Amino acid sequence: MTTTESPRKEASSVSSNDESSRGTLARVLTSQEFWTRAAAPVALAVAFVAFSIAAPNFFTAVNINGMLADAAIPILLAVGMTFAVMLAGIDLSQASTLAFASVLFGIAYGAGWGLLLSFLVAVAVGVGVGVLNGFFVGIVRIPDMISTLGTMGLMMGLSLIISRGIPEPVSDPVLRTIASDSLGPFRWNFLIVLMIVIVLHVLLTHTPLGTHLLAVGDSMDASKAMGLRVSRIKIIGYVIAGLMAGLAAVALILYVGSTQPAANTDYVLKAVAATVLGGTSLFGGRATVWGPALGALLLTVLQTGMIMIGVEAFYEQAVIGIVVLAAATLMRGRK
Amino acid sequence: MTGTTDLKLEVTDVTKSFGNVTALRGATLSARAGEVTAIIGDNGAGKSTLIKCVSGYHAPDGGEIKVSGKPVHFGSPLDARHHGIETVYQDLALADQLSVWQNIYLNRELTAGPWPFRVTRRGAMRAKARELVGDLAVNVPEVTKTVMRLSGGQRQAVAISRAVMWSNEFVIMDEPTAALGLRETQQVEALIRRIVERGTSVLIISHNFEQVMRLSDQVWVMRGGRVVNGHRTAEVTGADLVAEVTGAAAEHF
Ligand SMILES: Nc1ncnc2c1ncn2[C@@H]1O[C@H](COP(=O)(O)OP(=O)(O)O)[C@@H](O)[C@H]1O
Ligand SMILES: [Mg+2]
Repeated sequence: MTTTESPRKEASSVSSNDESSRGTLARVLTSQEFWTRAAAPVALAVAFVAFSIAAPNFFTAVNINGMLADAAIPILLAVGMTFAVMLAGIDLSQASTLAFASVLFGIAYGAGWGLLLSFLVAVAVGVGVGVLNGFFVGIVRIPDMISTLGTMGLMMGLSLIISRGIPEPVSDPVLRTIASDSLGPFRWNFLIVLMIVIVLHVLLTHTPLGTHLLAVGDSMDASKAMGLRVSRIKIIGYVIAGLMAGLAAVALILYVGSTQPAANTDYVLKAVAATVLGGTSLFGGRATVWGPALGALLLTVLQTGMIMIGVEAFYEQAVIGIVVLAAATLMRGRK
Repeated sequence: MTGTTDLKLEVTDVTKSFGNVTALRGATLSARAGEVTAIIGDNGAGKSTLIKCVSGYHAPDGGEIKVSGKPVHFGSPLDARHHGIETVYQDLALADQLSVWQNIYLNRELTAGPWPFRVTRRGAMRAKARELVGDLAVNVPEVTKTVMRLSGGQRQAVAISRAVMWSNEFVIMDEPTAALGLRETQQVEALIRRIVERGTSVLIISHNFEQVMRLSDQVWVMRGGRVVNGHRTAEVTGADLVAEVTGAAAEHF
């Protein structure tokens, strides 16, 4: 009707008509928006090519499958972390939640509860810690750092108290199958993690809840004005983060064959690194699931590749730390 | 002349405090169905707080609110929506990193499938949002753009389109043209006239006296958390209103 010229065309034609398509490409390649999405896949491809050239055994089916399986735990934690970070929060308690869930899994399994019930115990621990985090962040309104630092200490302590710090071996035929058998070219644990990633991707992009999580992370005021129940949505985000830590506990048990009572705090560093690499805004409101999953895969590839070209394992932490700082600087964005 | 039934909104003695700041000290006003009712007043007079009580964003501390003659107690903006009240907030209440269509449908997403397999109908929402924006003839670009990338006027248009789309009964607008240029202001005013023609009641907060004179049927003046005066717009001049807003007129009584 009265809408005059199409503003779509206007904006692009004014700036790009006289420039060549190379100009457009250059603009895309230097835009922050592009790099927030492309950093993880591009870095992953570069790392892959570089290590394949530098280390003869890198680009082999055995090694690639090994890396995908190694990435299972980092991917679970990274996509879980993403659900806290998209709410403009963080979940520092993941590693100790994982430890506590693994301890309780071990106790349940040792008491003869069987695999399924023990699995549900680990899941319940993750969900429970998530509810606790969400309660303190969303309802009591304690800053996310402090809330999750508190539950981190609590869970770390509980798992040491209950286990006396002693790992329990868990040997289960089903878990052994998931850990070492393959379906086609891929190991089961990687395939299961891939399925979880797909489910969370659909949740984020194709359900009302996904939009609501991003909206709350973007603007609490706007969300409240649109009638969203902000506290409840925050709790759900933290529950997903906790749930992923509970699942990671099971992934760890089937991977190493025992419980792990001492929290491995590298896990949190890695999860945050992968989340940032995956283009998640630390200010909340912008996130994908596949980005952090690729970010976690990238970190695993870096770790394996460095070992294969003869870098001491001690360097790994420092490299991840640098990657976090570099990625966060590149993608610090607006707001 | 007629009874209270043609009053869309009646606000009586509404009070609201934030800690030790008292924003509303007993505000009373009404809005007739099918009219444009304006509220004017200085910064901090309590205008936004008053409409946030009507829109369900705040729960008032005291007083009564009636919609179409019935007392209401809104616990959330959703309750107000169920009574056909849509609000364009002063800060627009848009999630910047979501797209235009996601904002228009925020918390009212179209879905398909049974729970827990209920998924959003993204294509349908995009198409309807595009159609809406076209029908309203507002200056909004592609609905897939993130709101962050729009100009001030376009953001305003998105917020207004959203309100107008979801209610044809009662739309409240808090300073909808405060951040706009001349041309965009004209577009918003034309839109307001169109929705009034289709029968929507409008409650508008404005700083712009000429705009109030142009658009409204009734005008209320707020000062210090109270509604201090009310007029049929046709019976006052812009100069009278200026005096009342600043409190200069108080001396004449
Ligand atoms: N959420 C809030 N918390 C504390 N004080 C508030 C809040 N909202 C409004 N106020 C105060 O209430 C008074 C009225 O504000 P407001 O209703 O926004 O006025 P207006 O819209 O007329 O400019 C001001 O003194 C303002 O600082
Ligand atoms: Mg205001």
